[in-house]
Amino acid sequence: MDYTTYLHPINTGNSNSYNVTNSHNNIINVNKTVADENPEIMRWLSPLDSRRRHQDVRTNRLDDVGGSLLQTNEFHGWRYGEDGVEEAVLFCYGNPGVGKTFLR
Amino acid sequence: MIDRLCDEDGEGDITVAGFYCDFRNQDEQTAANIMGAILKQLVAREGILEYVRTVFEKAKKEFGGRGLRLPDMVQMVKDAIAILPRVFICIDALDECLPKHLLELLGSLKDILQESPTMRIFVTGRPHVEVDIVRYFAGVIIIPIRHGAHEIKRYLEKKLEMDTMCDAMSDDLWGQIY
Repeated sequence: MDYTTYLHPINTGNSNSYNVTNSHNNIINVNKTVADENPEIMRWLSPLDSRRRHQDVRTNRLDDVGGSLLQTNEFHGWRYGEDGVEEAVLFCYGNPGVGKTFLR
Repeated sequence: MIDRLCDEDGEGDITVAGFYCDFRNQDEQTAANIMGAILKQLVAREGILEYVRTVFEKAKKEFGGRGLRLPDMVQMVKDAIAILPRVFICIDALDECLPKHLLELLGSLKDILQESPTMRIFVTGRPHVEVDIVRYFAGVIIIPIRHGAHEIKRYLEKKLEMDTMCDAMSDDLWGQIY
């Protein structure tokens, strides 16, 4: 079972939405309940919300953009490496339009 | 990246939260508001909402529900992360933050990381923000992203497939595009 916390938005039925699986749909329900039942606390925490933007990104993404880059040892070291402050931060840079937002 | 981390997480032993910076909303994208948007994604995890609600009720009683200051927010994120399994924070397009907000954001992340060394941070941006990132995270792992010819071809194909004026396409034009 998938316990990841990121707020997966509702599948709009758009055929371009990728990776909207049953487990993600379960998460949608859980998150909608927690966030939506506490609007006052959510507003207090921040006026900003990542959910809608994430939906746009996943709709427009090509699944293999950046795939080869993230096969690198650097990525692997960051993702699976030992705990510690030293290699805790990964920065992918590029000029506008190279697909940084859409990295998989 | 957010979906990739989530998809790989078969065991449910990581927590992923993210934020996309946007130059059209720079004024509102302060370090405190960005950290708050991240914390909003953590409340679905067991124990976090209860903790946040306690702080909220206390703030409401003491200060009439005033807005959160950055140090309060950083402390809350630290406390939330301490309860959770390994947390991944992904922030896109750091170059779209106002410089003063960016430095406060990087400072806050560094502060949190020092107390939560299991945390992992993924950030993207244009090349020029590297200087600021290195100032706060000397050991940062840096990967340049460039378009490969294959990716450009795939992108064009996808856009052309969705073209509403598909009659305008012919084999000849298709040949010229390639």
